[in-house]
Amino acid sequence: MARYGMALDYKNCINCKACEVACKEENGVELGAEKHRIWVGANNPDGQWPLLDIASAAFLPSQCQHCDDAPCQEVCPTHATYYDENNVVRVDADKCILCSYCMNACPYDARYVDDRTMTVDKCTFCSDTRLARGETTTACQNTCPTKVRTFGDLDDPESEISELLRTREHFSLKSHLGTNPKLFYLT
Amino acid sequence: MKIGPINIPLKEDFSLKSILGFEKTPMNMLVAVLTLAFLAMFVVGVATYLMHGHHAYNVTREHPWGLLIAVYIFFVVSSTGFCIVGSLGDVFGFKDYMMISKRAIFGSIVTILAGFAVIAFEIGHPVTMLIYNVLSPGLTSAIWWMGTLYGIYLTFMIVEFYFLLNNNMQKARIFGLIGLLVGLAAHSNLGGVFGFLNARTISNGVFYPTYFILTAFITGIYLSFIIMGFRYKMNFDEKTKALLVGLAKIQTLLIAILMFFETWKMLTAVYGGMPNRAEVAEHIMHSGAFMYGEVLMGMLIPFTVMLLTKWRSVTTYVWTSVIGMVGIFFMRYDLVHDTQLKPLQMMKTHEYQLPPSWVEYFPSATEIMISLGGLGLCVLLYYVGTRAFNLDEEH
Repeated sequence: MARYGMALDYKNCINCKACEVACKEENGVELGAEKHRIWVGANNPDGQWPLLDIASAAFLPSQCQHCDDAPCQEVCPTHATYYDENNVVRVDADKCILCSYCMNACPYDARYVDDRTMTVDKCTFCSDTRLARGETTTACQNTCPTKVRTFGDLDDPESEISELLRTREHFSLKSHLGTNPKLFYLT
Repeated sequence: MKIGPINIPLKEDFSLKSILGFEKTPMNMLVAVLTLAFLAMFVVGVATYLMHGHHAYNVTREHPWGLLIAVYIFFVVSSTGFCIVGSLGDVFGFKDYMMISKRAIFGSIVTILAGFAVIAFEIGHPVTMLIYNVLSPGLTSAIWWMGTLYGIYLTFMIVEFYFLLNNNMQKARIFGLIGLLVGLAAHSNLGGVFGFLNARTISNGVFYPTYFILTAFITGIYLSFIIMGFRYKMNFDEKTKALLVGLAKIQTLLIAILMFFETWKMLTAVYGGMPNRAEVAEHIMHSGAFMYGEVLMGMLIPFTVMLLTKWRSVTTYVWTSVIGMVGIFFMRYDLVHDTQLKPLQMMKTHEYQLPPSWVEYFPSATEIMISLGGLGLCVLLYYVGTRAFNLDEEH
Protein backbone atom coordinates (compact mmCIF):
# COMPACT_ATOMS: atom_id res chain seq x y z
CA MET A 1 0.00 0.00 0.00
CA ALA A 2 1.47 3.29 -1.02
CA ARG A 3 0.35 6.85 -1.52
CA TYR A 4 1.76 7.72 -4.88
CA GLY A 5 2.48 11.28 -5.90
CA MET A 6 4.69 13.17 -8.29
CA ALA A 7 7.01 16.15 -7.93
CA LEU A 8 7.73 18.26 -10.99
CA ASP A 9 10.81 20.39 -11.30
CA TYR A 10 8.87 22.28 -13.94
CA LYS A 11 11.45 24.96 -14.62
CA ASN A 12 13.60 22.28 -16.21
CA CYS A 13 10.91 21.47 -18.78
CA ILE A 14 12.00 22.16 -22.35
CA ASN A 15 8.61 21.34 -23.92
CA CYS A 16 9.99 18.49 -25.99
CA LYS A 17 6.71 16.58 -25.40
CA ALA A 18 8.50 13.27 -25.03
CA CYS A 19 6.34 12.66 -21.96
CA GLU A 20 3.15 13.07 -24.00
CA VAL A 21 4.42 10.60 -26.60
CA ALA A 22 5.65 8.10 -23.99
CA CYS A 23 2.32 8.23 -22.19
CA LYS A 24 0.37 7.56 -25.37
CA GLU A 25 2.71 4.74 -26.37
CA GLU A 26 2.89 3.04 -22.98
CA ASN A 27 -0.79 3.26 -22.12
CA GLY A 28 -2.25 2.92 -25.60
CA VAL A 29 -3.93 6.31 -25.47
CA GLU A 30 -5.85 7.15 -28.64
CA LEU A 31 -4.31 9.50 -31.16
CA GLY A 32 -5.72 13.00 -31.55
CA ALA A 33 -5.17 16.31 -29.80
CA GLU A 34 -8.21 15.94 -27.53
CA LYS A 35 -7.21 12.50 -26.33
CA HIS A 36 -4.42 13.07 -23.87
CA ARG A 37 -3.75 12.01 -20.31
CA ILE A 38 -0.87 14.41 -19.83
CA TRP A 39 0.12 17.66 -21.47
CA VAL A 40 2.65 20.48 -21.41
CA GLY A 41 1.14 23.90 -20.90
CA ALA A 42 3.06 26.77 -22.43
CA ASN A 43 2.79 30.34 -21.27
CA ASN A 44 3.78 32.98 -23.79
CA PRO A 45 5.91 35.74 -22.23
CA ASP A 46 3.84 38.63 -20.90
CA GLY A 47 4.53 42.24 -21.97
CA GLN A 48 5.57 43.97 -25.20
CA TRP A 49 8.95 43.91 -26.90
CA PRO A 50 11.47 44.91 -25.61
CA LEU A 51 9.95 44.84 -22.13
CA LEU A 52 9.15 41.13 -22.17
CA ASP A 53 8.73 39.36 -18.87
CA ILE A 54 11.03 36.45 -19.57
CA ALA A 55 10.27 34.77 -16.24
CA SER A 56 6.60 34.43 -17.24
CA ALA A 57 7.45 32.28 -20.28
CA ALA A 58 7.26 28.97 -18.51
CA PHE A 59 6.30 25.44 -19.47
CA LEU A 60 4.01 23.67 -17.08
CA PRO A 61 3.75 19.92 -17.59
CA SER A 62 0.57 18.58 -16.06
CA GLN A 63 -1.91 15.73 -15.81
CA CYS A 64 -4.45 14.35 -13.34
CA GLN A 65 -3.42 15.64 -9.92
CA HIS A 66 -4.58 12.45 -8.16
CA CYS A 67 -6.18 14.64 -5.51
CA ASP A 68 -6.62 13.27 -2.01
CA ASP A 69 -10.08 14.89 -2.08
CA ALA A 70 -10.89 14.45 -5.75
CA PRO A 71 -14.05 16.23 -6.95
CA CYS A 72 -14.32 13.72 -9.81
CA GLN A 73 -14.58 10.87 -7.31
CA GLU A 74 -17.15 12.68 -5.16
CA VAL A 75 -19.49 13.45 -8.05
CA CYS A 76 -19.42 10.01 -9.69
CA PRO A 77 -22.93 8.50 -9.38
CA THR A 78 -21.82 4.86 -9.70
CA HIS A 79 -18.41 4.84 -7.96
CA ALA A 80 -16.79 4.26 -11.34
CA THR A 81 -14.13 6.72 -10.18
CA TYR A 82 -12.39 5.31 -7.15
CA TYR A 83 -9.13 5.29 -5.22
CA ASP A 84 -7.10 2.14 -5.73
CA GLU A 85 -4.93 0.56 -3.01
CA ASN A 86 -2.14 3.01 -3.83
CA ASN A 87 -4.41 6.07 -3.55
CA VAL A 88 -4.33 6.55 -7.30
CA VAL A 89 -7.57 7.97 -8.75
CA ARG A 90 -8.81 5.40 -11.25
CA VAL A 91 -11.85 4.80 -13.49
CA ASP A 92 -13.61 1.43 -13.59
CA ALA A 93 -14.75 1.32 -17.22
CA ASP A 94 -17.37 -1.33 -16.41
CA LYS A 95 -19.16 1.04 -14.05
CA CYS A 96 -18.72 4.28 -16.01
CA ILE A 97 -22.03 5.47 -17.50
CA LEU A 98 -20.47 8.41 -19.37
CA CYS A 99 -22.58 11.09 -17.68
CA SER A 100 -19.48 13.33 -17.98
CA TYR A 101 -20.08 14.86 -14.54
CA CYS A 102 -16.46 14.09 -13.56
CA MET A 103 -15.20 15.93 -16.65
CA ASN A 104 -17.10 19.00 -15.54
CA ALA A 105 -16.13 18.67 -11.89
CA CYS A 106 -12.39 18.17 -12.45
CA PRO A 107 -10.74 21.59 -11.99
CA TYR A 108 -7.74 20.51 -14.07
CA ASP A 109 -9.39 19.36 -17.33
CA ALA A 110 -7.62 16.04 -16.79
CA ARG A 111 -10.32 13.75 -18.20
CA TYR A 112 -11.42 12.83 -21.68
CA VAL A 113 -13.63 10.25 -23.39
CA ASP A 114 -11.98 7.11 -24.72
CA ASP A 115 -13.89 6.43 -27.92
CA ARG A 116 -13.05 2.72 -27.90
CA THR A 117 -14.79 2.00 -24.62
CA MET A 118 -17.02 5.09 -24.60
CA THR A 119 -16.00 5.75 -21.02
CA VAL A 120 -14.01 8.47 -19.31
CA ASP A 121 -10.26 7.95 -19.19
CA LYS A 122 -7.42 9.68 -17.37
CA CYS A 123 -3.88 9.31 -16.06
CA THR A 124 -3.39 6.20 -13.89
CA PHE A 125 0.25 6.77 -12.97
CA CYS A 126 0.84 3.82 -15.34
CA SER A 127 -0.83 1.49 -12.82
CA ASP A 128 -2.08 -0.90 -15.51
CA THR A 129 1.20 -1.01 -17.36
CA ARG A 130 4.54 -0.17 -15.78
CA LEU A 131 3.55 -0.49 -12.12
CA ALA A 132 1.69 -3.73 -12.89
CA ARG A 133 4.95 -5.08 -14.34
CA GLY A 134 6.75 -4.22 -11.12
CA GLU A 135 8.52 -1.14 -12.39
CA THR A 136 8.78 1.86 -10.13
CA THR A 137 8.64 4.72 -12.59
CA THR A 138 5.96 6.13 -14.86
CA ALA A 139 6.46 6.40 -18.62
CA CYS A 140 6.50 10.20 -18.55
CA GLN A 141 9.11 10.22 -15.81
CA ASN A 142 11.26 7.57 -17.44
CA THR A 143 11.46 9.35 -20.76
CA CYS A 144 12.01 12.93 -19.57
CA PRO A 145 15.44 14.12 -20.80
CA THR A 146 15.75 16.86 -18.19
CA LYS A 147 14.44 14.78 -15.26
CA VAL A 148 11.50 17.06 -14.52
CA ARG A 149 9.42 14.34 -12.85
CA THR A 150 9.97 12.36 -9.68
CA PHE A 151 7.39 9.70 -8.91
CA GLY A 152 7.15 7.85 -5.63
CA ASP A 153 5.46 7.00 -2.35
CA LEU A 154 4.58 10.06 -0.30
CA ASP A 155 4.13 7.92 2.82
CA ASP A 156 7.66 6.55 2.62
CA PRO A 157 9.96 9.06 4.34
CA GLU A 158 12.97 7.52 2.58
CA SER A 159 11.55 7.96 -0.94
CA GLU A 160 13.13 10.44 -3.33
CA ILE A 161 9.90 12.39 -3.63
CA SER A 162 9.54 12.73 0.14
CA GLU A 163 13.10 13.97 0.32
CA LEU A 164 12.44 16.49 -2.45
CA LEU A 165 9.29 17.81 -0.81
CA ARG A 166 11.12 18.17 2.50
CA THR A 167 13.98 20.11 1.02
CA ARG A 168 12.46 22.12 -1.82
CA GLU A 169 9.71 24.72 -1.76
CA HIS A 170 6.74 23.65 -3.83
CA PHE A 171 3.16 24.54 -4.72
CA SER A 172 0.09 22.76 -6.05
CA LEU A 173 -2.33 23.85 -8.75
CA LYS A 174 -5.66 25.39 -7.64
CA SER A 175 -4.95 24.35 -4.07
CA HIS A 176 -7.54 26.89 -2.87
CA LEU A 177 -10.23 24.47 -4.05
CA GLY A 178 -9.34 22.06 -1.25
CA THR A 179 -8.63 19.16 -3.57
CA ASN A 180 -5.26 18.32 -1.96
CA PRO A 181 -3.45 17.38 -5.18
CA LYS A 182 -0.60 14.86 -5.12
CA LEU A 183 1.25 16.65 -7.90
CA PHE A 184 3.76 19.11 -6.53
CA TYR A 185 5.54 21.82 -8.49
CA LEU A 186 9.04 22.51 -7.18
CA THR A 187 10.17 26.13 -7.14
CA MET B 1 -60.06 -0.64 -18.24
CA LYS B 2 -59.46 -3.20 -15.49
CA ILE B 3 -56.12 -4.96 -14.94
CA GLY B 4 -56.60 -7.22 -11.91
CA PRO B 5 -57.45 -4.98 -8.98
CA ILE B 6 -56.34 -1.86 -10.89
CA ASN B 7 -59.11 0.13 -12.47
CA ILE B 8 -58.04 2.71 -15.05
CA PRO B 9 -61.08 4.74 -16.07
CA LEU B 10 -60.53 5.41 -19.76
CA LYS B 11 -62.93 7.54 -21.77
CA GLU B 12 -65.61 5.39 -23.38
CA ASP B 13 -64.92 6.67 -26.88
CA PHE B 14 -61.12 6.28 -26.60
CA SER B 15 -59.83 4.73 -29.80
CA LEU B 16 -57.46 5.48 -32.66
CA LYS B 17 -60.42 7.15 -34.32
CA SER B 18 -60.92 9.51 -31.38
CA ILE B 19 -57.19 10.34 -31.40
CA LEU B 20 -57.30 11.22 -35.10
CA GLY B 21 -60.70 12.86 -34.84
CA PHE B 22 -59.54 16.27 -33.71
CA GLU B 23 -61.06 19.41 -35.16
CA LYS B 24 -59.18 20.19 -38.37
CA THR B 25 -58.56 23.89 -37.74
CA PRO B 26 -55.40 25.44 -39.23
CA MET B 27 -53.84 25.74 -35.78
CA ASN B 28 -54.59 22.12 -34.87
CA MET B 29 -53.25 20.94 -38.20
CA LEU B 30 -50.09 22.97 -37.73
CA VAL B 31 -49.50 21.48 -34.27
CA ALA B 32 -50.23 17.96 -35.59
CA VAL B 33 -47.83 18.31 -38.53
CA LEU B 34 -45.12 19.83 -36.33
CA THR B 35 -45.52 17.04 -33.77
CA LEU B 36 -45.19 14.36 -36.45
CA ALA B 37 -42.19 16.16 -37.94
CA PHE B 38 -40.53 16.34 -34.51
CA LEU B 39 -41.17 12.64 -33.92
CA ALA B 40 -39.62 11.81 -37.29
CA MET B 41 -36.62 13.96 -36.33
CA PHE B 42 -36.37 12.02 -33.07
CA VAL B 43 -36.11 8.76 -35.00
CA VAL B 44 -33.46 10.18 -37.35
CA GLY B 45 -31.55 11.78 -34.46
CA VAL B 46 -31.54 8.59 -32.38
CA ALA B 47 -30.50 6.50 -35.39
CA THR B 48 -27.60 8.89 -36.05
CA TYR B 49 -26.58 8.71 -32.39
CA LEU B 50 -26.72 4.91 -32.38
CA MET B 51 -24.44 4.82 -35.42
CA HIS B 52 -21.95 7.49 -34.39
CA GLY B 53 -22.23 7.80 -30.61
CA HIS B 54 -21.22 11.12 -29.08
CA HIS B 55 -19.41 12.00 -32.31
CA ALA B 56 -22.85 12.95 -33.60
CA TYR B 57 -22.93 15.66 -30.95
CA ASN B 58 -20.85 18.81 -30.77
CA VAL B 59 -19.75 18.07 -27.22
CA THR B 60 -16.02 18.19 -26.53
CA ARG B 61 -13.54 17.57 -23.76
CA GLU B 62 -13.92 21.20 -22.65
CA HIS B 63 -17.71 21.28 -23.15
CA PRO B 64 -18.91 17.78 -22.28
CA TRP B 65 -22.51 18.80 -21.58
CA GLY B 66 -24.54 20.06 -24.50
CA LEU B 67 -28.07 20.76 -25.65
CA LEU B 68 -29.49 17.40 -24.52
CA ILE B 69 -28.60 18.10 -20.91
CA ALA B 70 -30.29 21.52 -21.23
CA VAL B 71 -33.40 19.94 -22.75
CA TYR B 72 -33.49 17.26 -20.05
CA ILE B 73 -33.40 20.03 -17.44
CA PHE B 74 -36.09 21.91 -19.37
CA PHE B 75 -38.42 18.90 -19.21
CA VAL B 76 -37.80 17.95 -15.60
CA VAL B 77 -38.22 21.57 -14.50
CA SER B 78 -41.52 21.55 -16.38
CA SER B 79 -42.48 18.35 -14.59
CA THR B 80 -41.69 19.76 -11.15
CA GLY B 81 -43.58 22.93 -12.08
CA PHE B 82 -46.64 20.96 -13.12
CA CYS B 83 -46.38 18.99 -9.88
CA ILE B 84 -46.31 22.19 -7.79
CA VAL B 85 -49.31 23.69 -9.62
CA GLY B 86 -51.19 20.37 -9.44
CA SER B 87 -50.51 20.14 -5.72
CA LEU B 88 -52.09 23.52 -4.99
CA GLY B 89 -55.54 21.94 -5.33
CA ASP B 90 -55.32 18.28 -4.40
CA VAL B 91 -52.58 18.48 -1.74
CA PHE B 92 -52.97 21.92 -0.21
CA GLY B 93 -56.72 22.13 -0.66
CA PHE B 94 -57.01 25.45 -2.55
CA LYS B 95 -60.43 24.86 -4.08
CA ASP B 96 -59.97 27.28 -7.00
CA TYR B 97 -56.97 25.26 -8.18
CA MET B 98 -58.58 21.84 -7.86
CA MET B 99 -59.84 21.93 -11.44
CA ILE B 100 -56.31 21.86 -12.88
CA SER B 101 -54.85 19.24 -10.52
CA LYS B 102 -55.49 16.13 -12.59
CA ARG B 103 -54.37 17.81 -15.81
CA ALA B 104 -51.21 19.22 -14.22
CA ILE B 105 -50.25 15.91 -12.59
CA PHE B 106 -50.69 14.20 -15.95
CA GLY B 107 -48.53 16.97 -17.46
CA SER B 108 -45.85 16.28 -14.86
CA ILE B 109 -45.78 12.61 -15.91
CA VAL B 110 -45.50 13.25 -19.66
CA THR B 111 -42.87 15.97 -19.30
CA ILE B 112 -40.60 13.84 -17.14
CA LEU B 113 -41.02 10.92 -19.54
CA ALA B 114 -39.96 13.21 -22.39
CA GLY B 115 -36.97 14.29 -20.27
CA PHE B 116 -35.98 10.67 -19.65
CA ALA B 117 -36.35 9.91 -23.37
CA VAL B 118 -33.89 12.70 -24.19
CA ILE B 119 -31.33 11.98 -21.46
CA ALA B 120 -31.26 8.29 -22.43
CA PHE B 121 -29.40 9.35 -25.56
CA GLU B 122 -27.01 11.68 -23.76
CA ILE B 123 -25.87 9.25 -21.03
CA GLY B 124 -23.35 6.98 -22.73
CA HIS B 125 -24.47 3.78 -20.97
CA PRO B 126 -28.05 4.10 -19.66
CA VAL B 127 -28.40 0.37 -18.92
CA THR B 128 -25.15 0.36 -16.92
CA MET B 129 -26.55 3.37 -15.08
CA LEU B 130 -29.66 1.43 -14.03
CA ILE B 131 -27.55 -1.47 -12.78
CA TYR B 132 -24.79 0.39 -10.95
CA ASN B 133 -27.11 3.06 -9.61
CA VAL B 134 -28.39 0.24 -7.39
CA LEU B 135 -25.30 -1.98 -6.99
CA SER B 136 -22.76 0.77 -6.44
CA PRO B 137 -24.53 3.98 -5.43
CA GLY B 138 -22.42 7.14 -5.30
CA LEU B 139 -24.07 8.81 -2.32
CA THR B 140 -21.91 11.93 -2.54
CA SER B 141 -23.05 12.50 -6.12
CA ALA B 142 -25.84 15.00 -6.79
CA ILE B 143 -26.55 13.17 -10.05
CA TRP B 144 -27.18 9.94 -8.14
CA TRP B 145 -29.63 11.65 -5.78
CA MET B 146 -31.29 13.57 -8.59
CA GLY B 147 -31.78 10.50 -10.78
CA THR B 148 -32.90 8.22 -7.98
CA LEU B 149 -35.30 10.75 -6.49
CA TYR B 150 -36.76 11.53 -9.92
CA GLY B 151 -37.40 7.81 -10.43
CA ILE B 152 -39.26 7.63 -7.10
CA TYR B 153 -41.05 10.91 -7.91
CA LEU B 154 -42.34 9.53 -11.21
CA THR B 155 -43.74 6.49 -9.40
CA PHE B 156 -45.56 8.71 -6.90
CA MET B 157 -46.91 10.94 -9.65
CA ILE B 158 -48.32 7.93 -11.50
CA VAL B 159 -49.95 6.59 -8.32
CA GLU B 160 -51.33 10.03 -7.49
CA PHE B 161 -52.74 10.35 -11.00
CA TYR B 162 -54.31 6.91 -10.68
CA PHE B 163 -56.11 7.93 -7.47
CA LEU B 164 -57.15 11.26 -9.03
CA LEU B 165 -58.66 9.36 -11.96
CA ASN B 166 -60.58 7.19 -9.53
CA ASN B 167 -61.65 10.21 -7.51
CA ASN B 168 -59.97 8.89 -4.40
CA MET B 169 -58.92 12.29 -3.13
CA GLN B 170 -57.63 11.15 0.23
CA LYS B 171 -55.06 8.75 -1.18
CA ALA B 172 -54.27 11.19 -4.00
CA ARG B 173 -53.42 13.79 -1.36
CA ILE B 174 -51.05 11.45 0.52
CA PHE B 175 -49.22 10.30 -2.61
CA GLY B 176 -49.31 13.85 -3.99
CA LEU B 177 -47.68 15.28 -0.88
CA ILE B 178 -44.93 12.65 -0.79
CA GLY B 179 -44.44 12.98 -4.55
CA LEU B 180 -44.18 16.76 -4.25
CA LEU B 181 -41.59 16.55 -1.46
CA VAL B 182 -39.55 13.95 -3.35
CA GLY B 183 -39.87 16.02 -6.55
CA LEU B 184 -38.65 19.18 -4.81
CA ALA B 185 -35.73 17.24 -3.30
CA ALA B 186 -34.89 15.78 -6.71
CA HIS B 187 -35.14 19.15 -8.35
CA SER B 188 -32.98 20.99 -5.86
CA ASN B 189 -30.44 18.17 -6.28
CA LEU B 190 -30.46 18.93 -9.98
CA GLY B 191 -29.52 22.49 -9.01
CA GLY B 192 -26.92 20.93 -6.74
CA VAL B 193 -25.36 19.16 -9.74
CA PHE B 194 -24.24 22.63 -10.80
CA GLY B 195 -24.00 24.19 -7.34
CA PHE B 196 -21.45 21.59 -6.21
CA LEU B 197 -19.02 22.41 -9.04
CA ASN B 198 -16.31 24.14 -7.03
CA ALA B 199 -14.19 24.48 -10.16
CA ARG B 200 -16.91 26.50 -11.93
CA THR B 201 -17.20 29.64 -9.86
CA ILE B 202 -20.09 31.06 -11.89
CA SER B 203 -22.34 28.11 -10.92
CA ASN B 204 -20.91 27.09 -7.58
CA GLY B 205 -22.96 27.87 -4.49
CA VAL B 206 -26.47 27.92 -3.12
CA PHE B 207 -28.07 29.82 -6.00
CA TYR B 208 -29.06 27.04 -8.39
CA PRO B 209 -30.64 24.60 -5.90
CA THR B 210 -33.06 27.32 -4.76
CA TYR B 211 -33.45 29.04 -8.14
CA PHE B 212 -34.50 25.72 -9.68
CA ILE B 213 -37.48 25.44 -7.35
CA LEU B 214 -38.53 29.03 -8.07
CA THR B 215 -38.23 28.68 -11.83
CA ALA B 216 -40.02 25.32 -11.67
CA PHE B 217 -43.05 27.05 -10.16
CA ILE B 218 -42.86 29.76 -12.84
CA THR B 219 -42.55 27.12 -15.58
CA GLY B 220 -45.51 25.23 -14.13
CA ILE B 221 -47.70 28.33 -14.34
CA TYR B 222 -46.61 29.14 -17.91
CA LEU B 223 -47.45 25.57 -18.92
CA SER B 224 -50.76 25.69 -17.04
CA PHE B 225 -51.81 28.69 -19.13
CA ILE B 226 -50.84 26.86 -22.32
CA ILE B 227 -52.68 23.60 -21.49
CA MET B 228 -55.77 25.44 -20.26
CA GLY B 229 -55.78 27.59 -23.40
CA PHE B 230 -55.58 24.38 -25.44
CA ARG B 231 -58.32 22.75 -23.36
CA TYR B 232 -60.82 25.61 -23.53
CA LYS B 233 -59.81 26.91 -26.98
CA MET B 234 -59.39 30.35 -25.41
CA ASN B 235 -63.08 30.53 -24.39
CA PHE B 236 -62.76 30.32 -20.65
CA ASP B 237 -65.73 30.02 -18.33
CA GLU B 238 -65.85 32.11 -15.16
CA LYS B 239 -64.42 29.38 -12.94
CA THR B 240 -61.47 28.82 -15.23
CA LYS B 241 -60.93 32.56 -15.52
CA ALA B 242 -60.81 32.83 -11.73
CA LEU B 243 -58.20 30.05 -11.68
CA LEU B 244 -56.06 31.68 -14.36
CA VAL B 245 -56.31 35.16 -12.81
CA GLY B 246 -55.10 33.65 -9.54
CA LEU B 247 -52.22 31.92 -11.30
CA ALA B 248 -51.34 35.16 -13.14
CA LYS B 249 -51.09 37.04 -9.86
CA ILE B 250 -48.85 34.36 -8.35
CA GLN B 251 -46.78 34.38 -11.54
CA THR B 252 -46.21 38.13 -11.38
CA LEU B 253 -44.93 37.81 -7.83
CA LEU B 254 -42.71 34.86 -8.73
CA ILE B 255 -41.18 36.62 -11.74
CA ALA B 256 -40.53 39.68 -9.59
CA ILE B 257 -38.69 37.45 -7.09
CA LEU B 258 -36.78 35.80 -9.94
CA MET B 259 -35.69 39.18 -11.34
CA PHE B 260 -34.57 40.17 -7.84
CA PHE B 261 -32.59 36.92 -7.52
CA GLU B 262 -31.00 37.27 -10.97
CA THR B 263 -30.05 40.89 -10.36
CA TRP B 264 -28.24 40.02 -7.16
CA LYS B 265 -26.64 36.97 -8.69
CA MET B 266 -25.14 39.08 -11.45
CA LEU B 267 -24.18 41.94 -9.11
CA THR B 268 -22.37 39.63 -6.71
CA ALA B 269 -20.72 37.83 -9.63
CA VAL B 270 -19.35 41.03 -11.15
CA TYR B 271 -18.55 42.91 -7.94
CA GLY B 272 -14.86 43.07 -7.10
CA GLY B 273 -13.82 41.65 -10.47
CA MET B 274 -13.03 38.21 -9.07
CA PRO B 275 -11.09 36.24 -11.71
CA ASN B 276 -13.06 33.50 -13.48
CA ARG B 277 -16.37 34.73 -12.07
CA ALA B 278 -16.68 38.41 -12.98
CA GLU B 279 -15.48 38.00 -16.56
CA VAL B 280 -17.84 35.06 -17.11
CA ALA B 281 -20.79 37.04 -15.72
CA GLU B 282 -19.94 39.98 -17.99
CA HIS B 283 -19.66 37.65 -20.96
CA ILE B 284 -23.08 36.17 -20.12
CA MET B 285 -24.68 39.60 -19.82
CA HIS B 286 -23.43 40.51 -23.29
CA SER B 287 -24.92 37.41 -24.89
CA GLY B 288 -28.19 37.53 -26.83
CA ALA B 289 -29.37 34.25 -25.34
CA PHE B 290 -29.29 35.82 -21.89
CA MET B 291 -30.58 39.32 -22.67
CA TYR B 292 -33.23 38.50 -25.28
CA GLY B 293 -33.94 34.89 -24.31
CA GLU B 294 -33.81 34.72 -20.54
CA VAL B 295 -34.46 38.28 -19.51
CA LEU B 296 -36.76 39.65 -22.21
CA MET B 297 -38.78 36.55 -23.13
CA GLY B 298 -38.53 34.62 -19.90
CA MET B 299 -39.21 37.47 -17.53
CA LEU B 300 -39.79 41.00 -18.79
CA ILE B 301 -42.44 40.45 -21.51
CA PRO B 302 -44.76 38.21 -19.45
CA PHE B 303 -44.22 40.32 -16.34
CA THR B 304 -44.93 43.64 -18.10
CA VAL B 305 -47.98 42.29 -19.92
CA MET B 306 -49.48 40.97 -16.70
CA LEU B 307 -48.84 44.23 -14.88
CA LEU B 308 -50.20 46.44 -17.67
CA THR B 309 -53.36 44.36 -18.13
CA LYS B 310 -53.85 44.09 -14.36
CA TRP B 311 -54.35 40.30 -14.51
CA ARG B 312 -57.61 40.61 -16.49
CA SER B 313 -56.60 39.42 -19.95
CA VAL B 314 -56.09 35.69 -19.42
CA THR B 315 -56.23 34.94 -23.17
CA THR B 316 -53.19 37.17 -23.70
CA TYR B 317 -51.36 35.33 -20.94
CA VAL B 318 -51.63 32.08 -22.89
CA TRP B 319 -49.56 33.69 -25.65
CA THR B 320 -47.16 35.42 -23.27
CA SER B 321 -46.71 32.02 -21.60
CA VAL B 322 -45.59 30.58 -24.94
CA ILE B 323 -43.03 33.41 -25.11
CA GLY B 324 -42.19 32.74 -21.46
CA MET B 325 -41.50 29.08 -22.20
CA VAL B 326 -39.06 30.04 -24.97
CA GLY B 327 -37.35 32.19 -22.35
CA ILE B 328 -37.34 29.26 -19.91
CA PHE B 329 -35.64 27.12 -22.57
CA PHE B 330 -32.90 29.74 -22.89
CA MET B 331 -32.54 29.76 -19.09
CA ARG B 332 -31.76 26.04 -19.19
CA TYR B 333 -29.49 26.29 -22.22
CA ASP B 334 -27.57 29.21 -20.73
CA LEU B 335 -27.25 27.47 -17.40
CA VAL B 336 -25.51 24.50 -19.01
CA HIS B 337 -23.43 26.47 -21.50
CA ASP B 338 -22.40 29.28 -19.15
CA THR B 339 -21.17 26.78 -16.56
CA GLN B 340 -18.63 25.54 -19.10
CA LEU B 341 -17.75 28.87 -20.71
CA LYS B 342 -14.43 29.37 -19.00
CA PRO B 343 -11.63 27.01 -20.08
CA LEU B 344 -10.03 25.30 -17.11
CA GLN B 345 -6.61 25.19 -18.77
CA MET B 346 -5.54 28.72 -19.58
CA MET B 347 -2.18 27.80 -21.02
CA LYS B 348 -1.39 26.84 -24.57
CA THR B 349 -1.40 23.05 -24.75
CA HIS B 350 -0.84 22.51 -28.47
CA GLU B 351 1.79 24.17 -30.59
CA TYR B 352 0.63 26.96 -32.88
CA GLN B 353 -2.66 27.27 -31.03
CA LEU B 354 -3.42 30.07 -28.64
CA PRO B 355 -5.30 29.26 -25.46
CA PRO B 356 -9.02 29.94 -26.01
CA SER B 357 -10.65 32.81 -24.14
CA TRP B 358 -14.04 31.08 -24.13
CA VAL B 359 -15.20 27.58 -24.86
CA GLU B 360 -17.41 27.65 -27.94
CA TYR B 361 -20.40 25.38 -28.44
CA PHE B 362 -23.31 25.16 -30.82
CA PRO B 363 -25.53 22.07 -30.92
CA SER B 364 -25.24 19.65 -33.83
CA ALA B 365 -28.18 18.74 -36.09
CA THR B 366 -28.49 15.40 -34.25
CA GLU B 367 -28.73 17.11 -30.88
CA ILE B 368 -31.36 19.52 -32.22
CA MET B 369 -33.37 16.67 -33.78
CA ILE B 370 -33.41 14.59 -30.58
CA SER B 371 -34.37 17.69 -28.57
CA LEU B 372 -37.25 18.61 -30.85
CA GLY B 373 -38.20 14.93 -30.80
CA GLY B 374 -38.52 15.15 -27.03
CA LEU B 375 -40.93 18.05 -27.49
CA GLY B 376 -42.90 16.06 -30.09
CA LEU B 377 -43.06 13.09 -27.73
CA CYS B 378 -44.28 15.31 -24.91
CA VAL B 379 -47.04 16.89 -27.04
CA LEU B 380 -48.11 13.49 -28.42
CA LEU B 381 -48.29 11.83 -24.99
CA TYR B 382 -50.22 14.75 -23.56
CA TYR B 383 -52.66 14.81 -26.47
CA VAL B 384 -53.27 11.04 -26.27
CA GLY B 385 -53.82 11.51 -22.53
CA THR B 386 -56.50 14.13 -23.13
CA ARG B 387 -58.26 11.62 -25.40
CA ALA B 388 -57.82 8.67 -23.06
CA PHE B 389 -58.58 10.19 -19.66
CA ASN B 390 -61.05 12.67 -18.30
CA LEU B 391 -58.62 15.32 -17.10
CA ASP B 392 -61.33 17.76 -16.01
CA GLU B 393 -62.42 18.11 -12.42
CA GLU B 394 -65.17 15.70 -11.46
CA HIS B 395 -67.87 16.74 -9.02
